[in-house]
Amino acid sequence: MAIIKIPAPPKSSMNRDRPVSGLLKSQILHLQEAEFRLPAKYQTNIYIHSIRTEGDAGEYIREVTQAIHAAHASRLRVAKRKPAPIFEIAAAAAKPRKTKAKPPTAKKKRKSKPRARASE
Amino acid sequence: MPPPGLDNLKHIVVLMMENRSFDHMLGALKAKDARIDGLTGAETNPDTTGATAPVLPTAEFQSQLDPDPDHHFPAVNLQIFNGGAAPTMQGFVKSYFNQRQDVAHSQKIMYYFTPEKLPVLSTLATEFAVFNRWFSSIPGPTICNRAFAHYGTSFGKVAMDLFYVNEPFKSIYSRLIDATPKHTAKLYYYDQTSSTMEIVNLLQHQPELFGTYTDFLNACKKGQLPDYSFIEPNYNDHDGDDGEELASDQHPDHNIQAGESFIASIYQAIKNNADLWKSTALLVVYDEHGGIYDHVPPPACTPDGFVASANETGIGADFKFDRLGVRVPAILISPWIPKGTVVDGRVFEHASIPATVTDHFLGTYDQRSPREKKAETFLDLLTSPTQRNDCPDFEEG
Repeated sequence: MAIIKIPAPPKSSMNRDRPVSGLLKSQILHLQEAEFRLPAKYQTNIYIHSIRTEGDAGEYIREVTQAIHAAHASRLRVAKRKPAPIFEIAAAAAKPRKTKAKPPTAKKKRKSKPRARASE
Repeated sequence: MPPPGLDNLKHIVVLMMENRSFDHMLGALKAKDARIDGLTGAETNPDTTGATAPVLPTAEFQSQLDPDPDHHFPAVNLQIFNGGAAPTMQGFVKSYFNQRQDVAHSQKIMYYFTPEKLPVLSTLATEFAVFNRWFSSIPGPTICNRAFAHYGTSFGKVAMDLFYVNEPFKSIYSRLIDATPKHTAKLYYYDQTSSTMEIVNLLQHQPELFGTYTDFLNACKKGQLPDYSFIEPNYNDHDGDDGEELASDQHPDHNIQAGESFIASIYQAIKNNADLWKSTALLVVYDEHGGIYDHVPPPACTPDGFVASANETGIGADFKFDRLGVRVPAILISPWIPKGTVVDGRVFEHASIPATVTDHFLGTYDQRSPREKKAETFLDLLTSPTQRNDCPDFEEG
């Protein structure tokens, strides 16, 4: 089996200050569309026209991507916690019990402290 | 009985890179293998002085194609038709001149890489299956072309303004996860600072479909790769958790070598897990040509059922999605593909991706765009009767 060596790019290739390309500008616009549909607390309030470099673009893209995931996770948590709708509860209560009813037993007397009588 | 490679196939992985034409990246391979429809060295374009600008093997890894060559609909129209009615592929230098008004610089759009400069892509192309006729879906930019890979259509869009999808065609991911029996699918973007170039719909409504490059590597290691994976490279230079992250998308003016390393890492992640390697097909493909020269005129295709208005195309005429965009590099990789396969005489485009994935995992599926229904599929290339054990490895060094 042949092993092919891959040369690493030079360190000087890195340039966070490179002006934003048309592609990144479009990506920012698309993410802004998504951001505007998020609840206000997840919106970044970053003014996208101030984004000039790839470094700036990356920051914005990261914040919105994280916000989208956070908002989605929050929606899922809320959906999990949400109680069953009332009509479902009512329907469940109306269902006949599958288990045999226990024979009636004498009600336990509730121990309770004597109520203090309101002063008259 | 299907060939054993197809019988074993459990995973399809697609890696879509950015903005390079076939001739620019793989054209020089024709000198090594005449079956590959690359460059003879005699191809030219006229420059704006009337002189001839030839193709030259002098492409550089970075800092050569700056500004980013125009690849929006009107510019690609000029590149293909050069102001005439026939697709002569003679307008690339003129189109690039329009951006900097510099004759010498405009000729660089004709430059191409030699195989020695691209050890990963060239090796994969000659070791596995290289497509002579894989075209971008639209003679236009990224977003609408990538939409074809996800949906089998761009819903009538020819530009970057594809913000919403309200059409009857589901994404390939939704088709798979909604199916009975259920399948698994994931889009892997590089990290959250690079995020996705998918139209915003999927990330917005189904963020659970997404993972990161690290998640992909872990899934390969653990043998937990989904049935279908779509991988996006890093689209910007940034600082990550492990230090500097160099853009690996190969979009001009990002470093080509970073993309080479990225492609190799995806290949190696699959190959290093023996079970995964024998049950996975990896497609490496580019979204569009990025305004860079290619000599093959894009052919006509089945109309998409949508029409982009003259206002949207910017060329004073409607576009009926009845012809393809410029040719791009595409390589299919699997140990079940005979070494040195050259796919010729068949036309592929990005709608071939959802078409192939749908056919393989779901079978009959009617709710697809006309283009996707007619698109060629590519898994028939896994024809080797036995699994190859001579496939190469890549190593940083």
